[in-house]
Amino acid sequence: MPVLEGTELRIVGFLCNWCSYGGADTAGVGRFKQPTDLRIIRVPCSGRIDPLFIVKAMMNGADGVLVSGCHPRDCHYSEGNFYARRRLEIIEKFLPILGYEPERFAYTWVSASEGQRWQEVVTSFTDQIHKLGPAPKILGPQASDTLSVMEAAL
Amino acid sequence: MKIGVFVCHCGSNIEATVDTAAVAAAARQFPGVAFATDTMYTCSEPGQDEIVAAIKEHNLGGVVVASCTPRMHEQTFRRTVERAGLNRYLFEMANIREHVSWIGKDREANTNKSIDLVRMATEKLTHNRPLYSKKFDINKRVLVIGGGVAGIQAALDCADGGLEVVMVEKTSTIGGKMAKLDKTFPTVDCSSCILGPRMVDVAQHPNITLYAYSEIEEINGYVGNFEIKVKKKATYVDWDLCTGCGICMEKCPSKKATDFFNEGIGKTTAINIPFPQAIPKKAKIDPAFCTKLTKGKCGVCAKVCPSGCINYEMQDEFITEKVGAIVTATGFDLFDWSVYGEYGGGRYPDVITGLQYERMLSASGPTGGHIKRPSDGKEPKNIVFIQCVGSRDKSVGRPYCTGFCCMYTAKQAILTKDHLPESQSYVFYMDIRAIGKLYDEFTRRAMEEYDTKYIRGRVSMIYPKGDKLLVRGADTLMGSQVEVDADLVVLAVGAEAAAGASKLAEKLRISYDTYGFYMEGHPKLKPVETNTAGVYLAGACQGPKDIPSSVAQGSAAAAKVLGLFSKDQLESDPQVSIVDIKRCIGCGKCIKTCPYGAIKETELRGMVKADVIETICQGCGICTSTCPQGAVQLQHFTDNQILSEVNALCQF
Amino acid sequence: MKFQEELKKCISDVMPELDVVIGWCASFDPLHATPHFMRRKEDIDKLEISPLSVHNLATYLPGLRGKKVGIVVKGCDSRSVVELLQENLIDRKDVTIFGFPCTGVVDQSKIKKALGHTGNVESCEMSDTALVIKMDDKTQTLAMAEMLADKCSSCRYPDAVISDYFAGEKIGNKGEKDVDYAAVEAFEKLSVPERFGYWLKELDRCIRCYACRNACPLCVCRDHCAAESRDPHWLSQENNVRDKLMFQVIHAYHLAGRCTECGECQRACPVDIPVLMFKQKMNQEIREIFQYEAGVDPEATPPLLSFKMEEENITEKVW
Repeated sequence: MPVLEGTELRIVGFLCNWCSYGGADTAGVGRFKQPTDLRIIRVPCSGRIDPLFIVKAMMNGADGVLVSGCHPRDCHYSEGNFYARRRLEIIEKFLPILGYEPERFAYTWVSASEGQRWQEVVTSFTDQIHKLGPAPKILGPQASDTLSVMEAAL
Repeated sequence: MKIGVFVCHCGSNIEATVDTAAVAAAARQFPGVAFATDTMYTCSEPGQDEIVAAIKEHNLGGVVVASCTPRMHEQTFRRTVERAGLNRYLFEMANIREHVSWIGKDREANTNKSIDLVRMATEKLTHNRPLYSKKFDINKRVLVIGGGVAGIQAALDCADGGLEVVMVEKTSTIGGKMAKLDKTFPTVDCSSCILGPRMVDVAQHPNITLYAYSEIEEINGYVGNFEIKVKKKATYVDWDLCTGCGICMEKCPSKKATDFFNEGIGKTTAINIPFPQAIPKKAKIDPAFCTKLTKGKCGVCAKVCPSGCINYEMQDEFITEKVGAIVTATGFDLFDWSVYGEYGGGRYPDVITGLQYERMLSASGPTGGHIKRPSDGKEPKNIVFIQCVGSRDKSVGRPYCTGFCCMYTAKQAILTKDHLPESQSYVFYMDIRAIGKLYDEFTRRAMEEYDTKYIRGRVSMIYPKGDKLLVRGADTLMGSQVEVDADLVVLAVGAEAAAGASKLAEKLRISYDTYGFYMEGHPKLKPVETNTAGVYLAGACQGPKDIPSSVAQGSAAAAKVLGLFSKDQLESDPQVSIVDIKRCIGCGKCIKTCPYGAIKETELRGMVKADVIETICQGCGICTSTCPQGAVQLQHFTDNQILSEVNALCQF
Repeated sequence: MKFQEELKKCISDVMPELDVVIGWCASFDPLHATPHFMRRKEDIDKLEISPLSVHNLATYLPGLRGKKVGIVVKGCDSRSVVELLQENLIDRKDVTIFGFPCTGVVDQSKIKKALGHTGNVESCEMSDTALVIKMDDKTQTLAMAEMLADKCSSCRYPDAVISDYFAGEKIGNKGEKDVDYAAVEAFEKLSVPERFGYWLKELDRCIRCYACRNACPLCVCRDHCAAESRDPHWLSQENNVRDKLMFQVIHAYHLAGRCTECGECQRACPVDIPVLMFKQKMNQEIREIFQYEAGVDPEATPPLLSFKMEEENITEKVW
């Protein structure tokens, strides 16, 4: 059971090791209460995040994807988040054409010291996803597996 | 791969809100998991021994530990699995403390999330491969940025340890803030008497190269092999010739230059040596105030200089230095207290900072050690000290305690009585923070032996009344209003990160907090390391510190550098990118985006291919997400490893 | 075509210095052309340039690297050549480019739709305004304007943007102005479930033949395409609509800042899936955020391989 049915939605986070993963740790050390939906994947740098990971997560059934890296000019690898910003912006704008609300994806910058900011980001992003509800899901190998359910719902 | 899963209770840190036994039971059902258990303290010796024993008993090929953040104990457990004969990279961590048990109390949701994170870790582990380090040569020289007491300590310790040291100081003399102090607490010994000899040691040490009046322009490279571009700012004085005789200073007609060393108490000449004990004792021209440089008229200094060292055409000069490690000791600056309208916001000349007061107390200062009101030069009788100006004050964005102001205020109150036995000092304080050897005793002396009146409360207003300042505040212990007719008000202004600290951090690729103070590697266990290998912190650049703490950290940083350089070669991190030659089509996109120039073009049977220089690669993985066909893969964070995590979390 | 003879002469003059020249010639029936590899003088006679010259021949260039290659290009094709040059996948000194003024090529699926089927075409006469097709003992006239590919009706680059020889009178390139994304914008007006359902329905037809990729001049990974690789293992080999759609996203993202919208992907699709829209959307973003158009300047740095410290057109989320 990956998420708690009824209470949680599937939210995947990609966090850079140096800033945001540290920021999430700082939030934990500070006991800053957060919703439990988010699952964090640690990557060395936001520049390592292939935007296709985000699409892959969505198509595999995620309801939301959150990416966080170091603040611009503060990248541990000096330039990674600058590349990331362009790529993530592109994919954010691309998601709607696939049939996902653009609000299902967000990217932001949180430093290792910003535990409180991390708490705010997680809380407000989780709220945002809960407001949208579950994302459309591909339910089987054939289109009809999904379409019949979608039509029934309408 | 047979996987072992160890779910840590961390005492009650995890167990209180996560059912670790249930997590272990769920893990047993995951593909590949041959063994799973929950343990009390996995990082303890018995906990680690249990892992080693399980690897041997169950012939495990990889280990997952679900416990705290990998930023805490990944290295610990990598060594553990290595002890049992596994490659250190056949190990993954699931962070169920900082990311689960500490951020919510819902046991069901936490347990479920922990299971998910363990599943993700096991899936990734399945795709892990053994990785092996390579060795590379290092340059055993160290750069110390900043010549305050912390930098001096670090430089001397390194130099005494046999290392070549390059020290870069942005002002024209080393000594930093400590050189400006009259006396130090709690011993009340003369600051320049204890610092002076150490400054001379720096100048005379055969292993130390000092670049004063210089700044860091560029930093390239990596631990063991940094390349530093230093900008030597134009002093308009040839320092090879300057003897520091000071004749130029006597004769210079522009006598209205801001005296930065004396914190603006008094003026200096356009060509100046900041103070008599300056190291290096060399003159420099402050171009903003020199009429020769601004208007083209004058040239007196060039005429009087006996060694002919004045050069009005001098330009900034750039020097490249190669070092293997960097100690950052850039110190602090004072908070800009003029935001406090209630203290006059800078309009009243007789409201000064503690550091200005130090210069006034100093025998080598502009008043020759006499306490005089800046407005009329009179000796003050009633002196009010206000604490926590720009400290512990959220309203001005400085919620932290600077830590040393309580002590220096007590010292200044004591010194005031020594200088002016007839005077009366008042201290408005919030709390007295005198934690340190002999510190509390010292503040007691200020109160009891020196009759300083300590008033617990904030000052609400200062306004002029005749030639005096009326200081109105609250005494929260008495529950009454207090008014003092003050002749002089001294503000205990808090510390903030040095100007330009964040810019330098970007060049060093180290993190800094909201206030610009540099982040240490770990708040408890890595107080002098940063997240960038080979860059260490000393002194107040990491957070406000008094002299003994700064010196201690300077020595600690030096010890780290000496430890690093105790080996002739360093082991490279094998988490670098590797090119799959057969998949590479030689388009060079990775070469274009690599921030380190770590990828070069090579030729293989007439075809262009990319090739990663492993010692230069820092493992950011930008190349991997740039390459469309996935030919260049960052080891330990390959597409397949991340995809396996995505797939573990999102299973349709 | 008037310029055709001029072009043949051109090719004939340069041919001795080249290993091969790629153009088009007649195919299995009068309604189709096929890529034509000219190695000898007599091959040149078969060169035919017409509205049937649909193929983007730039697709062949990377595979012929190391050889001296001549290539005949339409305006749109030439932009693919520019991209390949920019990406160091071909060498400028080894490629000889022959340009001509292109007035548009047909969309075979439109003809098929108009005629019902195109199985027994006996002859096809073409003029500037019409196609006269003889089939099943009937002669049918189709308006050329209606049969042109969508990309041709809004063509901004009829002349090759880069060429060594240009036969005929240049029509004049309009450049980067007035780019029409009406189709994308209309699609975006649909509701979220409608858009989601649309792609599932369309992609359901996909037979995973990868003709879209094989025809794409910028799918330069060839044997190492992410679609069939196990390391990295982005897609399963199952017949499922998720992977089919994911592949289209991979294709579109890998083309971000590179795609010239030559439309070969959609043309090559045997089941007529409108896969070009993904790339059009990507291009629209690239244009709006970075003011960049691919395939114009071989010296340009594409936007995803560079950055600015301050991005003018990216507004980050405020929490």
